[in-house]
Amino acid sequence: MDRRNFFGFSGVALAAMLHRDGYCADAKWAPPDGKPHHAPKAKSVIWLFMNGGVSHMETFDPKPALTKFAGKTIKESPVPDAQDPEKLALARVTVINDANGQQRNKLYPLQVGFKKYGKSGIEVSDWLPHTGSCIDDIALIRSMWTTDDNHGAQTQFHTGRHMLDGEYPTLGAWVHYGLGSLNDNLPQFVSMGNREYWNIKDGHYLGPAHDAVPIRVDPANPLDYGKPEVPVTTAEQKAGFELSGKLNKLREKEYPGDAALDARIKSYELAFKMQKSLPELLDFGKETEETKKLYGIDRNETKAFGMQLLASRRLVERGVRFIQIQHGAGGAGVWDAHGGLKANHTRNCLAVDQPIGGLLKDLKRTGLLKDTIVVFCTEFGRTPGTQGSDGRDHHIYGFSVWMAGGGLKGGIVHGATDEIGFHAVEDRHYVTDVHATILHQLGLDSRKLEIPGRKRLDIDHGSAIKEIIA
Amino acid sequence: MRFLGFALVLLLPLSAQAADPVDYRKDVKPVLQERCYACHGALAQKAKLRVDSGANLLKGKVIIPGKPDDSELILRVSAENEAQRMPPEGHALKPEQIAKLKAWIEQGAKVPADDAPEPDPLAHWAFRAPVKDARPRLAANENPIDHFVQAKWKELGLKPVAPAEQRVLLRRVYLDLIGLPPTAEQTEAFVKDAAPDAYEKVVDALLASPQYGERWGRHFLDIWRYSDWWGLGAELRNSQRHIWHWRDWTIENFNADLSYAEMIRQMLAADELYPTDEKKLRATGYLARSYFLFNRTSWLDEVVEHSGKGFLGLTFNCCKCHDHKYDPIKQTDYYQFRAIFEPYQLRTDLIPGEPDATKAGIPRAFDCNLDVKTPFHIRGDERNPDKDRAVLPDLPKFLKPDGLKVTPVKLPPEAYQPLRRPEIAMTYRVAVETKIVAARANLAKSEATHAGRFVLVRLALIAPHHRAVAVLAAEIAALEDAFADPTKAPLALRGAVKSAESNVESAASKSRPYPETSTGRRSSLANWISDAKNPLTARVAVNHLWLRHFGKPLVANVFEFGRKGSSPTHPELLDWLAVEFAEKKWSLKHLHKLMVTSNVYRLSSSSANAEASARIDPENRALWRMNSTRLDANAIRDSLLHLAGELDTTMSGPPVLAAAQEASRRRSMYFFHSHNDHNKLLDIFDNANVLECYRRSESIVPQQALALWNSRLAQTMAAKINDRLHAKLKDADDAKFVTAAFETVLGTSPTKDELATCLESLAELRAALKAVAEPEQGKRTRLQLVQALINHNDFVTVR
Repeated sequence: MDRRNFFGFSGVALAAMLHRDGYCADAKWAPPDGKPHHAPKAKSVIWLFMNGGVSHMETFDPKPALTKFAGKTIKESPVPDAQDPEKLALARVTVINDANGQQRNKLYPLQVGFKKYGKSGIEVSDWLPHTGSCIDDIALIRSMWTTDDNHGAQTQFHTGRHMLDGEYPTLGAWVHYGLGSLNDNLPQFVSMGNREYWNIKDGHYLGPAHDAVPIRVDPANPLDYGKPEVPVTTAEQKAGFELSGKLNKLREKEYPGDAALDARIKSYELAFKMQKSLPELLDFGKETEETKKLYGIDRNETKAFGMQLLASRRLVERGVRFIQIQHGAGGAGVWDAHGGLKANHTRNCLAVDQPIGGLLKDLKRTGLLKDTIVVFCTEFGRTPGTQGSDGRDHHIYGFSVWMAGGGLKGGIVHGATDEIGFHAVEDRHYVTDVHATILHQLGLDSRKLEIPGRKRLDIDHGSAIKEIIA
Repeated sequence: MRFLGFALVLLLPLSAQAADPVDYRKDVKPVLQERCYACHGALAQKAKLRVDSGANLLKGKVIIPGKPDDSELILRVSAENEAQRMPPEGHALKPEQIAKLKAWIEQGAKVPADDAPEPDPLAHWAFRAPVKDARPRLAANENPIDHFVQAKWKELGLKPVAPAEQRVLLRRVYLDLIGLPPTAEQTEAFVKDAAPDAYEKVVDALLASPQYGERWGRHFLDIWRYSDWWGLGAELRNSQRHIWHWRDWTIENFNADLSYAEMIRQMLAADELYPTDEKKLRATGYLARSYFLFNRTSWLDEVVEHSGKGFLGLTFNCCKCHDHKYDPIKQTDYYQFRAIFEPYQLRTDLIPGEPDATKAGIPRAFDCNLDVKTPFHIRGDERNPDKDRAVLPDLPKFLKPDGLKVTPVKLPPEAYQPLRRPEIAMTYRVAVETKIVAARANLAKSEATHAGRFVLVRLALIAPHHRAVAVLAAEIAALEDAFADPTKAPLALRGAVKSAESNVESAASKSRPYPETSTGRRSSLANWISDAKNPLTARVAVNHLWLRHFGKPLVANVFEFGRKGSSPTHPELLDWLAVEFAEKKWSLKHLHKLMVTSNVYRLSSSSANAEASARIDPENRALWRMNSTRLDANAIRDSLLHLAGELDTTMSGPPVLAAAQEASRRRSMYFFHSHNDHNKLLDIFDNANVLECYRRSESIVPQQALALWNSRLAQTMAAKINDRLHAKLKDADDAKFVTAAFETVLGTSPTKDELATCLESLAELRAALKAVAEPEQGKRTRLQLVQALINHNDFVTVR
């Protein structure tokens, strides 16, 4: 009960909501008790999402055939049937226009070289040397697919549902709902960076209590209303806070057993603690210069993302469950390289690579990596064919993501795309398999989290990728 | 028929726990009900089999008592071959469920004597017309609500709590009816008014105040999914520009107490019923709201789902892919219902004086494609339409046995050629004439400026001005042509701009004239929904009202009146009110008044010293006390502004855009609010979800505490409230100040303990601020008290 602190109470809030709507005729149903369903291998998740769509071929899935057959059509390539209509049938088109989501059939050569890294000798792009240097801790999946060929796929990657299906809880919301808290002073599900295209909510039918709390890496202003917008001394505010607490407690006499009143009293206690702990958490004064450098905080190009990742480590240290970071503001996401792919990906890789390498190394040396899953993901890949003269379009049929830590294997490649990077052909995975893998490592069974009146399909649950679990 | 295709299947080796006696009611019937009744029960009898009673199971020969291994039921549920397995959809039964079924058969398949098959779905309470109970013999002046609620108390042995204290009651009814709390002066006046009808006078005044329409209009805009437009950047993808005209229509008509039935008619079909009444046409914003640029099926799915849930409490959305599992609605009915809406599209009618429809206009529905076919999607998959099936507009048979009668509506020419409206013609004319006057002036000026120059140079310099005048003169000529024959008006001069048709807009569809007739489908639907004989409409509306007045609905799930939903807590009361509603010309104000003047409504919400009742009915289903509720986001912000004397009560007009919201003092319902644009502060308190909001969430999270402590708005309003109190009580002692602050912010006087606690805190604060000079010191000290009261649980709670 103690561990079910206030955020845990939100599970009870959902129960109350379902109950009020008459869903709980099924008396067997109860909200999760915050305990895992099976022995967990990981406690926290750092979720790095690249807005806009990262080219798998220029990052983690090298395809020399693209260079060899550059300028040739797909029909003339080693995979001539890649664009047969039945092979493209999984696409569910939302946006029809010329600018994106089109079949591009003239192959575009690789824009970057690759090198083998680590004992595993896995090839990683020359744009990502720091990530490459951690490859022996990374489980790389080269066989992802999704169905929305526009940026609604951002939502899809987080919920498992195409945007035409409506709004569904995101993975972070499920984790928050299922596990609750390890720390009473901090929100347990936080979000940093811009959400470009997708909805800003996470909880949806689980309720707003399971939305991520957006925070900024700014000790002076870490979250909305995190400190008085009109200056007031701490002493004065504290006195006011305490007074309202006392007055609320006095009302318990007149309203015995009023669950909302109790919850409100607790919410005020937690709010006050959060207001104090967040600035401390985001103050990097006690971090060494070496650590800051490791994350690239000393360089303009890498500073913003580096600070978010250093904050993530500090959040994980304090037991925060799920840290969701979106990289890349602007347009539908900064990685969306319809044109000028080389310049775009050079710049964006530079911005994230050192911070990511730094995070993995730092988590490893502090022993946190074994309990923490780091995920690198994006909504889809990019087309093997060229768009315009120097870009790549959206591509849903095959792309790459990776995970590290939290009881997962390192230095392995799982799944593969065909010779030109078009279709995932080996060990294909829909996005919810990533969810299932994470939930499994956290000790959760998504089927046991299902709530009355909200039937989920098999594909919503996905299947854990056993091959990458240590 | 699949069921009869025999195949011997290997049985899973299940341990039939024959030793433990199986309880049919607990272990067998619920499993069959959940997984089998939809196809083998009262709703459908596939393979002519019913499994909804012991007798039916025997009759269907699917169980042989004592021989589970030979019973077809067991063979089927445990079949490994998916083609043989029952149920065919979803997971197989769990091994422990199968084991129970086996054990039950093994033990002789015994059922209790009163075991009965499922009742006829048509007998479901909500599908039968409500009846005004003839029994109640109301005492003089007795409110029927009290009569029915008291009956329930008696039945359960409950003792109601005492009536609420006057101040508590007044704050309750103010927030309830207008979404704003009473001022301390209003409270004082009420407390002092000894007239027997003091309360009734307040109720009448509140119902007559324009803020009533804002409060209750907003409640229904939640249900009707009001949303400003959104898309990606400047591209509109959802809802429509200027949709706020529908919001204004709603407020006006709630204030005018337009009949609810008529509201439904106008929202669904004003373009057919009142084709030239622009004021009424605003109502079809209801249909414009669901616009979606990219997918017509998604668009109409939403219209079908929410017209079903919102007006009828029916979940049509459950039968998009297959027949409904609980209600007698077929998959065909889903597409037939969609067909009612199939022809409609949207256009924006110009507003006199503004020729640019992106700047102003009225978004509205009209039947655009009169012969368009409605697809039937096999298993709900839009990529897989059944090409052989013709879908015609209709309603589910069980609700409308004689079918939907549709008569096409001939429209007046002004409706399909809005250029014929003189004020619209004038709008175009004035716009061009204004431009041509300016162009001529420029020409004259240019001629004067260059008068002294060499003729060729002069001509060259003034030539562009000549051209500008010529272009405009041509525009006027085109305009004159269009006025002379509006059938030939170019797109830009039609007086209404069509929204791009989802996915299918083409050059041809873009330039097609607006049709001269409308199919009549929607008005036919609207007339059926709003017919007093419709068993659902009035009940659903009454339940929504009841929920918002009493904090809990009579029917738990407000959009599910089908068999999957719960029964009403007070069925006779619900029916009585539903019939009364229709009899009293669907007057919402009549219902409000009935509800808020009942004695039940006036009970205290405290359960102190009511242990006996709390034990019998801990959830207060029988309303032996009033329910406490959390204020919604709008009311929280509006109350802060109101108590500070800052509220701007301007009604209507375009929404306040995000950038202006922080400074705005308008009521929260006027803020731009869409799927993409949310006001941060309102969001924290669970502002309406534009996609679906039959009830607001009432979360309690720490961010709410932070918002009420730290937001500029809360802080500034606290300071203003403090200033106002100080203006009167600068020299009064703390005890007087505390009392006044309580009465202002919370509407009630402090108890002795509360007063003492506040005085103690004030003394401590004053000590902490001793370095600050008076009068600043006193003011700052008391400000914290005011802020603490704004952060009091009972500020955001209606007691």
